[in-house]
Amino acid sequence: MKEGAQPADKPVYFSDPALQALYQMVLILGEELAATREQLHALIALCEEGRVPSADALEAFVPDEQFDLERADWVARLLEPLQQIAAAHERS
Amino acid sequence: MTQPTAEMNRSTIHALSPVQNCRDRGRQSFIFHTKRQLGQFARATLQAQFDDTPSERGAVTGDDKAALLETHPAFAAWSALNIGSQQQMWRALEDMVARQATQMNAAASELTDASSKRGSLQTDASLVMPDYFANTAYHGQPGGYCLDRGEHDWHAGALQEAGGTLYSRGAGTGAKDSKGQAVVRFLATTFPDFVPERVVDLGCGYGGQTGNYAVAYPEADIHGVDLGGGLLRYAHPRAEALGLPIHFRQACASATGLADASFDLVVSNILLHEIPREMLEAVMRESYRLLKPGGLVVHQDVPTQRPDTPAFQQWLSNWQVAHNDEPFWQSFAETSVPDALATAGFSSPDIFESYEPQIDGPLVWYMVGARKS
Repeated sequence: MKEGAQPADKPVYFSDPALQALYQMVLILGEELAATREQLHALIALCEEGRVPSADALEAFVPDEQFDLERADWVARLLEPLQQIAAAHERS
Repeated sequence: MTQPTAEMNRSTIHALSPVQNCRDRGRQSFIFHTKRQLGQFARATLQAQFDDTPSERGAVTGDDKAALLETHPAFAAWSALNIGSQQQMWRALEDMVARQATQMNAAASELTDASSKRGSLQTDASLVMPDYFANTAYHGQPGGYCLDRGEHDWHAGALQEAGGTLYSRGAGTGAKDSKGQAVVRFLATTFPDFVPERVVDLGCGYGGQTGNYAVAYPEADIHGVDLGGGLLRYAHPRAEALGLPIHFRQACASATGLADASFDLVVSNILLHEIPREMLEAVMRESYRLLKPGGLVVHQDVPTQRPDTPAFQQWLSNWQVAHNDEPFWQSFAETSVPDALATAGFSSPDIFESYEPQIDGPLVWYMVGARKS
């Protein structure tokens, strides 16, 4: 019986460690929102098809490729401020 | 039983594959796209900063440029997001697997206990885990590869397959990629007449690559060896579910307990960068011992030793080392595998090394090996 190894502690990159924690919180919120978007998309699509949005129907639903492009697009927007930080640094 | 197929890659679905529900799909898609975006940001913006660092700022060497880049304000944000993304990947996968543990248990037991099975599993509860293995949570995987909660536990293997797939797809690798197929293709090109009768895959993990050798050499006797019981208890029913006759054995890649000169082909896939140098040297000695005269050994791994690796790529690799539980990456980069093969007994003219493209992805793999005289 071996409980296994635990990941090494990761470095903190900000003088205020709360800032690094904040990035993690943003990711967790983004992940939760992504899960909700997925469910909502399935729910709306089933309703539009006139089907009963049962738990089984929700689980069996497979979104089309267009929805994946939308996923990519909103994650890109979420991370866009990284580019702004870089651009501001370049101007400085 | 599924018939064996050439499609043994990152898209392979089998009886033990956890099924994504709607929420899993949303969470994992978010993680996938976040990883893709962060990779693109590194290759575009951070690389431009790195490459364009003016020499008047005193940055001449790659190390100088790296030091300057790490003062860039976007670097801290990018690093924090990368670290967070890897942590949330494992949590999302753990949740998916835990929810289906009962069904996966049943599938694993049914396949392991089937009288019609074609492969085997030999575990060793008394095997002492080397410290490096017991103390490393490779890539941040919870519990690492040594996680083993008893005689029915297969979680380490399930997480290794799911995590490897999501991580590598996020890093730009395609769904059709397969490291084992890359080795098979390399062998077919370099040694076109070579058809092994007995093959052993050292450090086989969840058996994803081992399956490629079973498909490529259907008449051969295929063996997989790994230290992790929790990996092999997943690898064995997985192989059975895919119709692949593979014999798995819990042992160290450096001391397999298999007979001298009993294999035509000894392989490993991305094992060498996950073990300390003295273990790498011991694996080379074991490779030599296991091979029949005329047999081949091929170790496939990350191309850290490529002499023309761009300085920025080197910096990115170093970041991985420092942040992704890769404690032996650097020692691997500094080790000459051909020298280790020569020390193990292979003749220098019989040793080869090559860089080969991925089957479905932008990277190249390092292939290093030898023919036993």
